Amino acid sequence: MIQTPEFQGTHLWNRLSWAKENLEMYKSEYCVVYEDNMDECAKVLHPDPNWMACALQGGILPPVTSYWELKKDEAKPDFVKHTRGPELLHNMKPIGPMTEEEAIEYLIMKDVPESVWRDWDKGNQPKMVICKKEQLPPTREWRNAWKIDPELKVAA
Amino acid sequence: MSVLELNGRIFDASTTGTLTLTGEGGAATTDVTQGLAKCWGGSTNAAVINDSLNVASSVDNGTGQYTHNLSNAMIQDINNSGGTATVHNDSGIARYFGSGTTASAAKLRCLDESFNDEDHMHSFVIHGDLA
Repeated sequence: MIQTPEFQGTHLWNRLSWAKENLEMYKSEYCVVYEDNMDECAKVLHPDPNWMACALQGGILPPVTSYWELKKDEAKPDFVKHTRGPELLHNMKPIGPMTEEEAIEYLIMKDVPESVWRDWDKGNQPKMVICKKEQLPPTREWRNAWKIDPELKVAA
Repeated sequence: MSVLELNGRIFDASTTGTLTLTGEGGAATTDVTQGLAKCWGGSTNAAVINDSLNVASSVDNGTGQYTHNLSNAMIQDINNSGGTATVHNDSGIARYFGSGTTASAAKLRCLDESFNDEDHMHSFVIHGDLA
């Protein structure tokens, strides 16, 4: 396996470009189905294969807490431009290699609304499910009617 | 740390400002900081990415509606950056749509010729400066 350079202090985008040139894409068979609005259909999140390669390699991505801080900044009413990129993304110590399971969990905490993943198994029915792509409906004919089965038994 | 030296000027992660390169002909210049594409991708009609740069995940929000989440956020809301999206056939339309788009998430909508949401394979690209 190729050694990741010491990337702390290197712009994240340059790290991603390094990964693009040096790492094989990893196409995960897993996806995340979630519902963040009961009036809308279920959404399906797919990991990016280049991002997965970075996650499995280690030493490239910042901790997920950096993304939470950026989201907080973006949510401020007077937000115009990010000013904490160097502090949160580029100068932060990158995290080590993750397993595929850990990478999916990281991605959930990064890109799925916190209201979904924070208490995903609380309430009357599950709001989020990690499954294999082959478990999704085989056709998209009724895509806007997709919902998570309320009777689904989930394991933590 | 990666360092680029150009005409005696050192560029590293702490470098700020604009990097402008002059083209071979000597007339045209390229503003790398603002002008280079910082994110691109090609997606199936179900938001499964085939290849990309600077994308962490993609979300299938429903028929013809997609969100592509960035690894390295843009410096400002993507609605204020430059970007384009195209569908992979002759009869569809792809466009960014404002609501829900942020500095780190680009929402796309693919439409048929009557402007109804329709699933499409699509490609996208985002220009501008990074966070």
